[in-house]
Amino acid sequence: MLDLSFVDEVIEKNGRGAEVIIPILQAIQEHYRYLPEEALQRVCETTEITPMQIAGVSSFYSQFRHRPVGQHIVHICHGTACHVKGAGLIQDALYRHLNIPDNDDTDADGLFTVQKVACLGCCTLAPVVQIDQVTYGNLTPDMVPRMLSDFLEHEQHREKYGEEQPTPAEIPLDGESEIRIGLGSCCVARGSGQVCDVLSQSLMGTGVKVAVKPVGCVGMCHQTPLVEVISPGKAPAIYTKVMPQDAKAIVQHHFKPKGMIRRLRHAISTSLDLLWEEEKQEAISRHSANKRDPVIAAFLGKQKHLATEFSGQIHPTDLGEYLQRGGFKALRHCVEELTPEQVIEEVQQSGLRGRGGAGFPTGFKWSKVREAKGELKYIICNGDEGDPGAFMDRMLLESYPYRIIEGIAIAAYAVGAQEGYFYIRAEYPLAVRRIREAIQQCETQGFLGENIAGSRWNLHLQIMEGAGAFVCGEETALLASIEGRRGMPRLRPPYPADSGLWGKPTLINNVETYALVPWIMQNGADAFAAFGTEKSKGTKVFALAGKVARGGLIEVPMGMTLREIVEEIGGGIAGGKRFKAVQVGGPSGGCIPAELAHTPVDYEELTAVGAIMGSGGLVVLDEADCMVDIARYFLEFTQDQSCGKCTYCRVGTRRMLDILERICAGRGKEKDLDELEHLARIVHQGSICGLGKTAPNPVLSTLHYFRGEYEAHLEGRCPAGKCKELIRYTVTDECIGCTRCAQHCPVDAIPMAPYQKHEIDPDTCTHCDVCREICPVDAIEII
Amino acid sequence: MPKLIIDNRDIEVEPGDTILDAARQLGLDIPTLCFREGFQPSTSCMVCVVKIKDRGKFVPSCATVAEEGMQVENDTEEVHEARRTALELLLSDHVGDCIAPCHNACPAQMDIPRMLRHIRVGELHEALVTVKEDIALPAVLGYICTAPCEGACRRRAYDSPASICLLKRHVAEIDLASEEIYIPSRSPGNGRSIGIVGTGPTGLSAAYYLLQKGYDCTLFDDHERPGGMLRYAVPEDRLPHDVLDAEIGIIGQLGAKFRMQTRIGLDLTLKALKEEYDALLIATGELEASGAETLGLHTSSRGIQVDPNTYQTTVEGIFAAGNAIRRRNKLAVRSAADGKAAAISIDQHCSGLPLIGTPRSFHCRIGKLVEGELEKFVVRASNEQRVTPMGGIEHGLSVQEARAEAQRCLQCDCRKANGCKLRQYAEIYEANPNRYRGVRRIYEHQDQHPEVIFEPGKCISCGLCIQIASRSGEELGLSFIGRGFDVKVGVPFNRSIAEGLRIVATECVAACPTGALMLKDDT
Repeated sequence: MLDLSFVDEVIEKNGRGAEVIIPILQAIQEHYRYLPEEALQRVCETTEITPMQIAGVSSFYSQFRHRPVGQHIVHICHGTACHVKGAGLIQDALYRHLNIPDNDDTDADGLFTVQKVACLGCCTLAPVVQIDQVTYGNLTPDMVPRMLSDFLEHEQHREKYGEEQPTPAEIPLDGESEIRIGLGSCCVARGSGQVCDVLSQSLMGTGVKVAVKPVGCVGMCHQTPLVEVISPGKAPAIYTKVMPQDAKAIVQHHFKPKGMIRRLRHAISTSLDLLWEEEKQEAISRHSANKRDPVIAAFLGKQKHLATEFSGQIHPTDLGEYLQRGGFKALRHCVEELTPEQVIEEVQQSGLRGRGGAGFPTGFKWSKVREAKGELKYIICNGDEGDPGAFMDRMLLESYPYRIIEGIAIAAYAVGAQEGYFYIRAEYPLAVRRIREAIQQCETQGFLGENIAGSRWNLHLQIMEGAGAFVCGEETALLASIEGRRGMPRLRPPYPADSGLWGKPTLINNVETYALVPWIMQNGADAFAAFGTEKSKGTKVFALAGKVARGGLIEVPMGMTLREIVEEIGGGIAGGKRFKAVQVGGPSGGCIPAELAHTPVDYEELTAVGAIMGSGGLVVLDEADCMVDIARYFLEFTQDQSCGKCTYCRVGTRRMLDILERICAGRGKEKDLDELEHLARIVHQGSICGLGKTAPNPVLSTLHYFRGEYEAHLEGRCPAGKCKELIRYTVTDECIGCTRCAQHCPVDAIPMAPYQKHEIDPDTCTHCDVCREICPVDAIEII
Repeated sequence: MPKLIIDNRDIEVEPGDTILDAARQLGLDIPTLCFREGFQPSTSCMVCVVKIKDRGKFVPSCATVAEEGMQVENDTEEVHEARRTALELLLSDHVGDCIAPCHNACPAQMDIPRMLRHIRVGELHEALVTVKEDIALPAVLGYICTAPCEGACRRRAYDSPASICLLKRHVAEIDLASEEIYIPSRSPGNGRSIGIVGTGPTGLSAAYYLLQKGYDCTLFDDHERPGGMLRYAVPEDRLPHDVLDAEIGIIGQLGAKFRMQTRIGLDLTLKALKEEYDALLIATGELEASGAETLGLHTSSRGIQVDPNTYQTTVEGIFAAGNAIRRRNKLAVRSAADGKAAAISIDQHCSGLPLIGTPRSFHCRIGKLVEGELEKFVVRASNEQRVTPMGGIEHGLSVQEARAEAQRCLQCDCRKANGCKLRQYAEIYEANPNRYRGVRRIYEHQDQHPEVIFEPGKCISCGLCIQIASRSGEELGLSFIGRGFDVKVGVPFNRSIAEGLRIVATECVAACPTGALMLKDDT
């Protein structure tokens, strides 16, 4: 018998209304690691939640599981960046290594459950795998066994010391010196946590009182872990790609130990270390950089930080620091000096448009909610970012929680909302934690709650965690989800501005939209509108990833061309390959070919070339990327995320995927391209919600710009050498007979032949790419 | 009061009315599947889409509120194509056979599963009536038919097919042996007369159906006795003449006149006949090309040249069927089917209706079963081996044997084939069920409920049953399970449909637009 007392506790804590079903299920799952039927029955018996509701909701959201999982969950990220960098091969390798049958997800010992995840938002580390809370990036299939054993080795250690986020030791400030270290999710995944620990320990050792300050995302994901040392009167020193063993040297370099004895002891221990320190000293100089460093200058130079103001400088959850830097001034200004109408007028003047993708004029939306009749109005921050290849919202939520809250508060004041929700993806635990902490701080300090900023106006915010459904980014689906229902979009009108949450007027904006509001109110609409193009004002945050040399989180003024972003900020294509296309807007967007890279970042211009602004994923593709495969990849995602309501999307996207899979497998028929186009148009024109309406975009844009590649597949060729069924691995005459390929082939498709040219058995070969990666003389070729 | 324009017609509606309401006021018939008066529109099926001209988008008319100045397109090829595509998409994942494979394989398109359901409960007369709706000579065919139906029987892949042909003979012979032989009713005479040349299976069948419709039928034949090939080419030990005579007798009783030993072309010219009769049917069996040419008809390599749908020859009012148009046909049932098809065309011709031949019904097919599916069909039938008549083939099945054999039928057909809105619209919009064929659901058949059968593969996820169950206060009810392409309707906690629908099962069947929910006792 299952002990159900936990269920009762959860219900006590969350309440008995039908709307609290998702938090209840989340708690049950976290406790039991799945949703045991007895527990669900108990919920039905003791709350207003019905069996119908529980069956519907618990099967809609992919977070929920109805059978026990293995001890550890391996999430394989299938985001765009990971996809183009071989996530599929990593998945194959995991399945092979753990011996999991195709129709299952857990190994025989019940140790690991392997799950696909749409995007972990660590696109610059692609391909990425997350085991429980530990993230492994830049993987190759070959590394999979090592990754698993590494995880298990460290497991004991973690069990002992827990899973706490690294928090730097509390040290009183010494002058204005501080050491800043980025602790966003990506940075942590690259080892910033350990670096932070070592920095703190080293400082303790020296007795120097310098704060190690965790800061939000710096955006330079390709350079993380990133440490910045600020000393009064000196230029800031930046260290990139810092390893834990480098941390000590950084401390020593900048801060002299205090007190004779300490210095002495320190000297002894360092001299002992000297023998093997040399390499690290070298490492220091290797990693040292500053903002005038050409690479960093190129990356940062063209950016404009509005939503990401004080990027890499402020402690994400330190309210005092936010206030010090002018935080909540804009809110005070609005509440104390402006009427709600004036606030709306200012936002309208600024030309701000929704950053969630569609670009609806923000001020106009606000005025609609303002005008809507009703005492009770809601405000919602849409943080259900789920596009593979996008992690802007996560970064903003993690790094600038106060700015977003301030933006929401200003909007709530303008539209007259008193209740609000943050809807945040379940996959973003750090964002949830920081927002929760920030809300508490704001309530304590009077920026949220009753009588805000001394006014008679109240605003209460709470967090609703998503449960794994991309479609909930669609506003009507998001509302259904908060109300405790399946996240099914509905036909609009009525728009949420008239009839939103619980039928009340509701303002829903995206995270980035809110993050821009304080800047606009503080610097004025004109200053904002000075950036950008005629119809697209201000800046846009993008997650730049894929085959680019310098991936990261960037904020650029509207109107910048894609080529500037790819080549100047991103440093062009990594590895000397040819720039082929940029995928803009994720699964709702399109592929813009390199020839059109002069297209500026502008809502209308991007739409005109078959993409959309979208929420800001920019995935750069090179000549090794197959455009048919890219279209198939995105459609696989959207069709998997379709809520299943309307025929065009539910079945239409599936049929489009059938056709694309056929084409990728070399079984395409001549009329397939026309049928694909026909379906794409009808799904686009007829689907109920944005997900279905935009799902065909990746297909339509690739068909338009890369039709030749589709035709090549119909003839049985994949020009990019990507589609498994159409390619073969062979060994060229360059082979020196070193046997490494034979040793590493996981399926023994290459017989060992020392000092002879090796051969690959095409029937056994699984195209896992290990041999090609490992060959020291590049003698493995795809034909 | 918003005014809008639908198909260039103005209409004013109450505020809050939908485009569908407006269209219905105009008397326009917009198809709907998931919409039901009095329920929340689920905007799922998308067959009610119309195009809003200035937005360039398709919207579901059932849930889109009519607005002032809207210009709506309903009857354009573009809108029809959008609806057709919606239907074709639904059909691409519709795991069901409208009619059973045996029914489909039968050239006469006889509703075999219905016949068998009657037999299994002892309704032999009803079984016979079912047979004779499509086959005029069931006893005769019961002896000589090569039974393409049994070749298509799903059970063939499991053990051996149901003994359909013998069962058909069984019901026909029981009838012939009864005191009151079944004579179908005749419409009042319509004053028109049809000349039929040939008294083989084609001519006899045509006469049988034309007579029922009130036509006068005269059959010409150069032999001494009617029956054509059935009498003169099939050996009597395969087809006893008394059986043949008995079934011809029924056609005689219906009012057929036989003019035997009359050879058209010699004794009577076709021209003369044409003047005497409102329409002629050439059912002479295989003709020499020269023979046909002398009748003034065009020929092809297969015989007399006819329109493949209507069976009309190149001369208006003269029809041809059976082996006269298909050389080397060996199937008597094919000839009989031709006779009935020609009768339908002749009726259209004589009543001034558009001559289109037998209306082609829409059929959705599962096609090849995947592994494990056949078993789901087999579990619901008797597990006995195919019956061999104790008295030998020549004596046919006994009543008990027939019943037992009928129990072996897997009942592959859809019980709601005639009430299925998806099928009706598919027919109207000429949807091609194979256009988007691809990955499909696995066939499932749930019959734990005392009154209702649930076949999830036919569900189009309209959610009406879920709404009904939820309103009625069913304790468990129904719910959507899963999402996206894999979404299905099911009972919470994996319970059976019997537990989910304790109160409103039949109401759900009535609302279900397809055969996903059907009544068990619908034969």
